[in-house]
Amino acid sequence: MTCKKCESLIFSLLLAFILSLTTEGVYAKQTDNLVTPPSIQAAVKGIIKDGAGEPLIGVSVTVKGTTNGTVTDIDGGFTINCNENDILVFSYVGFLTQEVKAGSTSFFNIIMEEDTKMLDEVIVIGYGTTTRRHVVGAVDQITSKAIENRPVANLAQALQGASPNLVIQQRSMNPNENTMNINIRGVKTKTNNTPLVVIDGMITDIDNMNKLNPADVANISVLKDAGSTAIYGSRSASGVILITTKQGEKNAKPTVRFSGSVGFESPNILYTPLDGWQNATMMNVALANGGNSLAYSPQQIQDLKDHDDAEWMMDYIFKTALQQSYNVSVSGGTTNSTYMVSGGYYNQGSNFIGPDYGIKRYNLRTNLTTEYKRMKLNVILGYTRNDIKGDEANAGFKIADAARTPKYYYNTPRDASGRYIQSSISTNSAAALELGGYNKHNNDLMNLGLSLDFKIIDNLKARGVFGFDLTSNSRFIRRLQYNLYKQNSSEIARTENTDRDTENYSFKGTFINTQFLLDYNKQFGKHTLSAMAGVSQEFLNNKGIDVKTKYTDIDLGIPISEGETQTIFNESRTEVNNTTERVIQSVFGRVNYNYADKYYAEATVRTDGLSRFPKDNRWGTFPSVSLGWRPSEESFMDFYRDKIGDLKIRGSWGILGNQEIPDYLYFTTYTAYTNSAGFNNSAVSGTGFVEASPDLKWEKVKTFNIGADFTFLKNSLTVNLDYFDQKTTDMLDKPITPSVYGTELERVNIGSMINRGWEVTLNYRLSAAGFNHNFSFNIANSKNKVTDIPQEQIETVDSNVGYITRAGLPLGAYYGLKTDGFFQSYDEIKNSAIPDNVKNIQPGDLKFVDRNGDGIINDDDRFYLGDGFPHYSFGFTYNVDYKGFDLSMLIQGVGQRKQALRGDIYVPFHSGAWYPVMYKHQLDTWSTANTDAKYPRLTDDSSDSFANNWKRGSDIFILDGKYLRLKNIQVGYTIPKKIVQKIGLGRARAYVNAQNLFTLSKNSFIDPESSEYDNNMGRSGTNSGRNYPTLKYYGFGIDIEF
Amino acid sequence: MNMRNLLYIATILAGILLFSSCEDLDREPRDKFTDVKYWTSESKAMLVVNMAYNQMYNAGIMWRDEFLSDNMVHTYGSSDPSTIRRGQATPSLDLFKNEWKDSYGGIKTCHVFLKNIDRVPGLSENAKNRMIDEIRFIRAFIYFRMTNYYGDIPFFTSELSLEDSYDINRTSKATVMEFIHTELEDILNRGYLPKVDNLPAAENGRITLGAACAFQARAYLYENNYEKVKLYAGRLIKEQDKYGQYKLFEYPQNPIQSYFRLFTPEEEYNREVILDITYVPDLKTWTDMKGMAPITKHAEISADNPTQELVDSYLTMNGLPVKGADKDPGYDENNPYVNRDSRLWGTIVYDNYEWLNKDGSINIIKTKLGSGTSDSYKGMLELQTKTGYYVRKYYDWNMGANMKNSTNIIMFRYADVLLMYAEACNELDKISSEDWGLTIKPIRARAGHTTAAALDYPAAKSKQELQDIIRNERRVELALEGLRWFDIKRWKIGDQVLSGYLHGFKFGGSSSSIDGGYLRAGEYKFNNTRDYLWSVPLSQMDINPNLKPNNPGY
Repeated sequence: MTCKKCESLIFSLLLAFILSLTTEGVYAKQTDNLVTPPSIQAAVKGIIKDGAGEPLIGVSVTVKGTTNGTVTDIDGGFTINCNENDILVFSYVGFLTQEVKAGSTSFFNIIMEEDTKMLDEVIVIGYGTTTRRHVVGAVDQITSKAIENRPVANLAQALQGASPNLVIQQRSMNPNENTMNINIRGVKTKTNNTPLVVIDGMITDIDNMNKLNPADVANISVLKDAGSTAIYGSRSASGVILITTKQGEKNAKPTVRFSGSVGFESPNILYTPLDGWQNATMMNVALANGGNSLAYSPQQIQDLKDHDDAEWMMDYIFKTALQQSYNVSVSGGTTNSTYMVSGGYYNQGSNFIGPDYGIKRYNLRTNLTTEYKRMKLNVILGYTRNDIKGDEANAGFKIADAARTPKYYYNTPRDASGRYIQSSISTNSAAALELGGYNKHNNDLMNLGLSLDFKIIDNLKARGVFGFDLTSNSRFIRRLQYNLYKQNSSEIARTENTDRDTENYSFKGTFINTQFLLDYNKQFGKHTLSAMAGVSQEFLNNKGIDVKTKYTDIDLGIPISEGETQTIFNESRTEVNNTTERVIQSVFGRVNYNYADKYYAEATVRTDGLSRFPKDNRWGTFPSVSLGWRPSEESFMDFYRDKIGDLKIRGSWGILGNQEIPDYLYFTTYTAYTNSAGFNNSAVSGTGFVEASPDLKWEKVKTFNIGADFTFLKNSLTVNLDYFDQKTTDMLDKPITPSVYGTELERVNIGSMINRGWEVTLNYRLSAAGFNHNFSFNIANSKNKVTDIPQEQIETVDSNVGYITRAGLPLGAYYGLKTDGFFQSYDEIKNSAIPDNVKNIQPGDLKFVDRNGDGIINDDDRFYLGDGFPHYSFGFTYNVDYKGFDLSMLIQGVGQRKQALRGDIYVPFHSGAWYPVMYKHQLDTWSTANTDAKYPRLTDDSSDSFANNWKRGSDIFILDGKYLRLKNIQVGYTIPKKIVQKIGLGRARAYVNAQNLFTLSKNSFIDPESSEYDNNMGRSGTNSGRNYPTLKYYGFGIDIEF
Repeated sequence: MNMRNLLYIATILAGILLFSSCEDLDREPRDKFTDVKYWTSESKAMLVVNMAYNQMYNAGIMWRDEFLSDNMVHTYGSSDPSTIRRGQATPSLDLFKNEWKDSYGGIKTCHVFLKNIDRVPGLSENAKNRMIDEIRFIRAFIYFRMTNYYGDIPFFTSELSLEDSYDINRTSKATVMEFIHTELEDILNRGYLPKVDNLPAAENGRITLGAACAFQARAYLYENNYEKVKLYAGRLIKEQDKYGQYKLFEYPQNPIQSYFRLFTPEEEYNREVILDITYVPDLKTWTDMKGMAPITKHAEISADNPTQELVDSYLTMNGLPVKGADKDPGYDENNPYVNRDSRLWGTIVYDNYEWLNKDGSINIIKTKLGSGTSDSYKGMLELQTKTGYYVRKYYDWNMGANMKNSTNIIMFRYADVLLMYAEACNELDKISSEDWGLTIKPIRARAGHTTAAALDYPAAKSKQELQDIIRNERRVELALEGLRWFDIKRWKIGDQVLSGYLHGFKFGGSSSSIDGGYLRAGEYKFNNTRDYLWSVPLSQMDINPNLKPNNPGY
């Protein structure tokens, strides 16, 4: 479909819209008549309380069918004019709406019943809303309550454990990076497993989700199956996260809310090095076991023992940091309009020493709605600023260098006179952090959302939406030259950062989303029909400039020419080099039918055209159907409904799409690289090329889902079950190109895979003896399997960890030799297969399984060793309140995962002089006195034994990564209203909380969430455990409402 | 018109407005040339040639090859050259994989150029054919390196289709070599490459006719085809009118420094150099010296150190070796660095080394255990030298603490041609006095030798003894230039020189009962039936089973 075609489609839609207007006048008059209220009225009063007898403030009291309404005051009281035939409607968030006939009563004592049913909870779905009762897709809703008061840096962290199969893995705890994998229902593509994020109806980037102030979020819907996501067709294969921000309420007095929390993040370094003399001794042991001469003489070891050890570099570079968060909001509304204005400030200090590292975020958001006759206007204006300052780059290396600095007394970060010393491994991470310069980001995001609803006739609504995101990011890096000294000497040992780079990057991105929707709802008898149709266009335009200078002035960082120092501008780029334009045009529609709230059917279709694909393959169509049945509504199930509860069975099938690939791949392109070669001492450019993939097309994911929703025990227990099956075809993937081809294709459509899984959610509420308990448990699993791939790929990285991509195995599969314990005797060695390139194997070395029984251990003996994706991920939330006290906790974890680990955190002395350190957790090595050890005998890296034990991809590098973590625990106290009212407050609550208080895992020395895999089970190298420490948080906060 | 109608119209207008900005779905990249727009000018075509130069050879490859030889120890434990030298190589080594991949990347550039060059409008025949011959030279050179590493390799002379790349077979080394010889012969005959004499200064570093001739000589040398070596090396020596005027570099201000100065940035593109890879201050540099230079000269950590075995191959200034039957009686093991061939000073930093700075000042480098400087040997797991020696050759004395070296890396130089010629003459029929005078003598004289023992034709020596002398001369003259490993391969001396312990100096505190007090700097193993060839990368055999069987022993 071409742009012309889409224009004609838009035109016909508009035409339909105009036609509908012509018949509109008649209906409109009738509706006008209907809303005219009767005229004889009297004032009635009342007081509204909750079940515990506390007055409820802000309960909406309206006369049914009119706009006449009020809200209860601070004592729960209200006054409203009505006549005897009117029905008064009392509604309040979290409580069941009550309707009471006015009659002749002049004073009402209303007890609001808490809404435990949840079936009528409004659920936000794509381009609309529905209720829990009517949902036929797999949708989870997370309310603001689940994320409130969590001391988290961003929304993604807050969502961890909140919804089944919403797998969130925090790979780094560094507040300045916060590498997170966000995934719904597992891996079904190699291109993009990140869910589509929609904020207040506007498709946006996942980064923007994390720029939102968590306090501004009213609710989040997680759409999982084809039925619910197909309306976002082209990009919804990995699920959709719909975020709705808070709005004011109609007819509500201004409410001011303030919340603040302050806490400490303390770094928890999971491993401890040996004492200096012990380290040297063990090094000698390793060398001796390897048949080499010793590195340390007895005198040297005695010398190390005679001195106090230096402070370990890791302990020096990490400190406890302060985290603060403050939010204030004002909201309210009149009969025709609502408003919500909020501001937030978040500040998390980095745990690195070094000047003022950390992240600050400022949020401002307004959300206004106003109605005038048939029109409803909603304006959202949001602004976020992130100020981030960190070390100049490569924090991972600094951590690695610090971790592997032995605690020898001469390795103090600074000597007696305060100079930074050159440590025995040459580096000094403390100096690099404190003196080496910085990397500053100032990122602004402004977003505007405008929507205009227009009621054409009673059942038909038109809506125009205009969304505009303006992203303006700037990054400034300055590397400062500094000296390292010889211990206790003014002699300079090394000068670092002599390039003195100063880099400035500035990015401006605009994203414009326009939508036009028609919405039709009609009820006739027991039939409810709703239909929606729309068109949308998204236009992205990113531009960036990059200025890089080297050899700048040592003090100011400005370009300077001075003697031999000539500042050079290298690899600087104007916006031409950094321009991306992308257009997506879409047409979509949905028809939904239900009969008597018993039978449901829904069909959705979306067609998208995208500039990333070549002309002929540009348009993709994505249909889906859903069916639902509530047997409990059938008359023959009356008994079940009365005695047991509600039951709904639902299923969906659809095709979803995926297209998250780099732009312009269908062109063969040539890129000129400066300074590729040189002649006569002048540098010249060279041109490289990327070969086109001329036939790129949409990746398609066929998704099937079947689920059931149960309620038991008068709706206090709800159970949701889902099973899903996804088959991905035409996978967009980087093909395995043989090296002889000479280049690599970026992406082609190859192969297929399946992904299957299930999820269970249980919610249970119990109120007894003044205690209100709320248990929520979810557990889910997904397993993927590559079913067809043209070339299998096996790769062993650093001769340590092996990976395989092969039909029949999941993505992210580990591959290598299987260990079979240790050789315990020379006889055993003689009678066993050993690697063909290693000769001198000793008892205490690893024994491998000779899979093919040929008497030699080699690459033909490798096995599939499990996969790195988290399985059986679960979350358990428990809330309880008693009188004013409340307690909540979140336990979250993963029941099955393999975790690969290599490097000096795991392998003692893994590369001689470069990693001359050993940690306490590595001490359980084999010896004749310890034949049942965890690790093979200690040897140095040049020995044959080391080559056997640690230089073959085997399961010794594959750890059990399951864990359970008490993510959050919070205890709060709400001051009784009687007291707070005296000081003019509406509500006041104070709490203390802690995060990551304890973790159960099989391996104490590595954070179980640490992984080399990104969200697509793609990886960068292997995991060497160079993690920012796990952070424990302790803090307190208050919430006040005026 | 009433209010309501106004609203309708406003809504419709808004709707139209929303989509009147219907954006075009055709988007072209703006920062890259598309194929249609690229092949439009000579200079654009030249940029692809430049990329091929970049992929032909570089400093990293030169040092890496050197780490494979007995001239250096390479103590970075987990590095692939160490693994190979310890006899622990497996087909999955990253080095095998990366070299294979990088080489075919270069081949691809050459083929893309050859496929498209005819599209460039208005290109003169001369300019076009010169570029084509440069590309053919580069392609031949990359295949030459490949076949020396891997033996039989996938071989093709125009762009390989994606389908074929999945099932291509290996072609015998002999066929690949035959192709290289034919190509070079054709390039020499066509004569589109300029002679060095006619090369404008601005084109210094581009491939010349002389380079093609020198390459032909080396290609035959690696096949031990001495007739042909003599023929092509001889042309460069005796037909300089045709192939360009080359001579050994002399530094007239201070002749004893000639050899040393040959590897300084100031003397680049002198007439000894037949082909080198240009490096440019700040813009195109190499940093391998970070692991080789003295600590006081800004090395981060000393990992790659010359061996005692290399140091021992330098003659004394009396023209005599320090070991064996002809041992110089004046040589003192406890004062070993005095009165030695000046090339030792030009190549290797030893204890009490006089480090010459560019401004003429001298620093004394001490490496002896307990000599108390930042450079002093401390132990095999400390950041200082592991052998008592550091690298001097190729150290760029203009560079600062950032260790960004801009010294050009020499691929072919005239001394190599002379040594090839000498070796060929001797292998064919014991070298004559005349040929000695043409080759070994001037090389030794340039190194500062004046004694008859060094310079005069050793008529009394047998052909076999002369072979040792010429080979030793080659090792010394071309030390740390990335050639020793290939000489070991063609001389088949791997099990002699790459097996057992290699050593550091005598001043590291080792007990004199072990190896005469020389530091043991690592134990190595060499498997004669396997280690002369690398393994075909495992990952590539996994994709394409036709690459099997692998080379023996893997």
